[in-house]
Amino acid sequence: MTSYSSQMISDLLEGTLPLDEVARLQRDKDLDRFTTVLKLEQARVPWEDRILVPLQESLYVVERSDGARVVKCRCGQEFGDYRQNWKEEAAVCERHPQDGVVYLKYKGADPAWQMLREFYCPGCGVQLDVEPVPVGYPFVFNFLPDLDE
Amino acid sequence: MSADIETQVPGAAGSATPLTLKERLARTERGISETGYYEADLSLKESDPITFEVLFTRLLQTLTNAREVALSISASPSTREQGEIIFGLYTREGDAICLSTGLMIHVHTMSRAIKWMIENDYETLVGFDEGDYFFNNDSFIGGGHPSDQMLITPLFIDGRLEGWVGGLTHVTETGAVEPGAMGSSFTSRFAEGLIMPCVKIGSGDTLRKDLDILVDRGVRSSTSWLADNRAKLTGNMIVREKLKELVADVGLGFYRKICREYIEDTMRATREKVRRSLFPGRYREVAWRGVTLPGQESLLHSPCELVITRDGRLELDYDGLPSARRQPFQATLPLFEGMLFNGLIQNVFYDLRYNDGTFLAIRLNVPLGSACNPDNIQLPTTLWGPAYGGMQACAQAVSRAYYAQGYREEVHASGPLTSGNLAGGVDQYGRLFGSQCFEFASSGMYATSFMDGLDTAFSDFNAEGDMGDAEVWEQQMPQIWLAREIRRDGGGFGKFRGGNGIHSLYLIPEGTEMEMGSFGSPPIFSTAGLMGGYPAASLRVWVGRNTNLSQMLSQGLDLPNGEGLHTELPDFVSEVEAEWEYVPGQNYPARALPPESLFSVVSGDGGGYGDPLERRPEEVLRDVVDGLSSERTALDVYAVVFTRDGAQLIDGVDAEATQALRAQHRRDRLARAVPAREYKARVRERLIAGDIPAPAAALYRDVLRFSAKWAAEFRTFWDLPDDYEVP
Repeated sequence: MTSYSSQMISDLLEGTLPLDEVARLQRDKDLDRFTTVLKLEQARVPWEDRILVPLQESLYVVERSDGARVVKCRCGQEFGDYRQNWKEEAAVCERHPQDGVVYLKYKGADPAWQMLREFYCPGCGVQLDVEPVPVGYPFVFNFLPDLDE
Repeated sequence: MSADIETQVPGAAGSATPLTLKERLARTERGISETGYYEADLSLKESDPITFEVLFTRLLQTLTNAREVALSISASPSTREQGEIIFGLYTREGDAICLSTGLMIHVHTMSRAIKWMIENDYETLVGFDEGDYFFNNDSFIGGGHPSDQMLITPLFIDGRLEGWVGGLTHVTETGAVEPGAMGSSFTSRFAEGLIMPCVKIGSGDTLRKDLDILVDRGVRSSTSWLADNRAKLTGNMIVREKLKELVADVGLGFYRKICREYIEDTMRATREKVRRSLFPGRYREVAWRGVTLPGQESLLHSPCELVITRDGRLELDYDGLPSARRQPFQATLPLFEGMLFNGLIQNVFYDLRYNDGTFLAIRLNVPLGSACNPDNIQLPTTLWGPAYGGMQACAQAVSRAYYAQGYREEVHASGPLTSGNLAGGVDQYGRLFGSQCFEFASSGMYATSFMDGLDTAFSDFNAEGDMGDAEVWEQQMPQIWLAREIRRDGGGFGKFRGGNGIHSLYLIPEGTEMEMGSFGSPPIFSTAGLMGGYPAASLRVWVGRNTNLSQMLSQGLDLPNGEGLHTELPDFVSEVEAEWEYVPGQNYPARALPPESLFSVVSGDGGGYGDPLERRPEEVLRDVVDGLSSERTALDVYAVVFTRDGAQLIDGVDAEATQALRAQHRRDRLARAVPAREYKARVRERLIAGDIPAPAAALYRDVLRFSAKWAAEFRTFWDLPDDYEVP
């Protein structure tokens, strides 16, 4: 069975793996990857709760010592039960699509059509998601993992 | 099912009667539905796996060889230079067994056309004979829009129909109301030009001259259409004759059985790959398009729900799509299927055999009457709209499933939007012309979880696409390129940035009578970022009439050659005196442009990945030095502070100042944001008051009526009454 070193996968997670090595990973899959990544991710966070699945950049579904399964940022901020959209517990900001900071007039959307809805972690301010949506569009619930055996 | 497909059923008098193709198709579909198998066993693969692989490679080589020969015959830049062509081999029932490289959207669309002929009794009403050629560009039958033109021929062995061979190219002129086939003003299918629904245009390996004349007089320039037909005919003949040799080598029964096993093997491999690679769960993404017809402005969304089960099932549900209307930003079901499988093949099933096994293994719901499955064939489906978005949304959902499973090398943001220009009229030599320019096949690639998107090197719809030589395009479309450059700051910002697309500046030359337009998107962000990354920049058009270019030349001034380094107005607008028209988005219906006019369009750019404040500062520096990003974005978006030498030129990164500025940016974010609950309460008030801009209100009004599922979720999310409508 194909297997890759923990260092190689760690470099992939850091975005420093050379592209010819990435191509190897794309061609030939290691079936133990989930376990490898879980160990690496667990070692990267400053808290002890057990990671059940990495949800996206900076966010994990963890099992706390009291048995609760919650979404947690790498900074330690919690976002509640994983079965609810973590965005409900985020800090939210609507950005004008031509605000002159991110996009200028001739490269941004018309504000009558769309804005940029940004979601931040209330604990550390990391930007977790940007939804280019019109006013009134519901939060997109990107991922509900199937954790039940 | 038996190991060798049953070929006869009992007749009334006890004698055997051959199955008609229609009966065979119905039986195959019933069999798959009842058993879940295309072929019950893989006995040939299991008994001799080497021959199994060798024979498939032989099929693949035959199809790829046909494609290469056809490329040489075609006179169309989009076929010859952009590689907009594919060949496929099909079973008697019309299921794809093997395809060449090329336009992967059409893995399944030619299959649709073959089945349509079978279901509509062509076997008896029209007849199938060796050497027949059936042409189709009716997108409700198969293909994507009238530009997608397929030529299909039956494969006869020992006098019996044993399969089909098909070739498809994208033809850049169809005699539509606007030149170049893909106009953004169409409100009826009958504006899309000449449509021929599975017409027998050849027999005895010869194409009918009267139908050539029909095309020649029905479109602005028939060169691409007619030359591509000859290219496809040649490719089909190559495949057909090679297949006869192959069947002579292995025997007909073996050939039939192994073809069915190839499809079954792909079905099984599809499920296994899903089970191994994608984390089980429910994923949701949305992509955006819109209608820009005057008075009908509306957003269109593509809400994608992907479910991955533990046993390897992949289910896609697009309930929530807007309804189909008299507007061109929508698609037929065959095209939507094609787009989805084009994306899935590139993102997930790239190491499997490309055939209908993947299609048969996946469950897909696209509501009838929606903008991706219209129930009225009079509606235009020219520009696909939410179908392209549906593929983008699906790819993002799949990326999340890969991310969770740990396969980060497969994770990426949205790919670029398709956009480009159209032109038609009389060129400087007095020749009629009409075409679209396919240089957008080299758009900006999406950012991935491990690298930036490539600049000007990617399109989702044809992974082998290329921009083509400007000089070759100028022979087909007499616009003159004054600029063809990388679009700085086009790709979405992020920890890894999206690839930048192309900016092209065209000059309308003297001696021409030309109308020019473009297609792309409404004034929105149509290519999303992922996991904190920003969407790609919006598209736009600049048109300059009554320019002073002659005066500039007489004064010895340089002609404009690009957008330049300015962050607001592009250089060419500042440098050239003209009646400038700025159009946000890129849907610009074709209009007459006098010589010396300027026309500026951009291709799509890739979406960004991750929080821009986590981008490595040295990569921000590199992009600024290379001219791919501006100093403004380095400071405002990436919060990177540069050091400068004595001449005030950038010479490095001030790490300490950068760290401090990034910390300040994070604090600023939290200072301007509000808790989600508070945000939702504010927006709810706006919804109740009807304080919603018109393009969104039009979308909500439509979908609240059209999709009960989406309406219920919308009202629940905003805590609105069950009978809420946008005031």
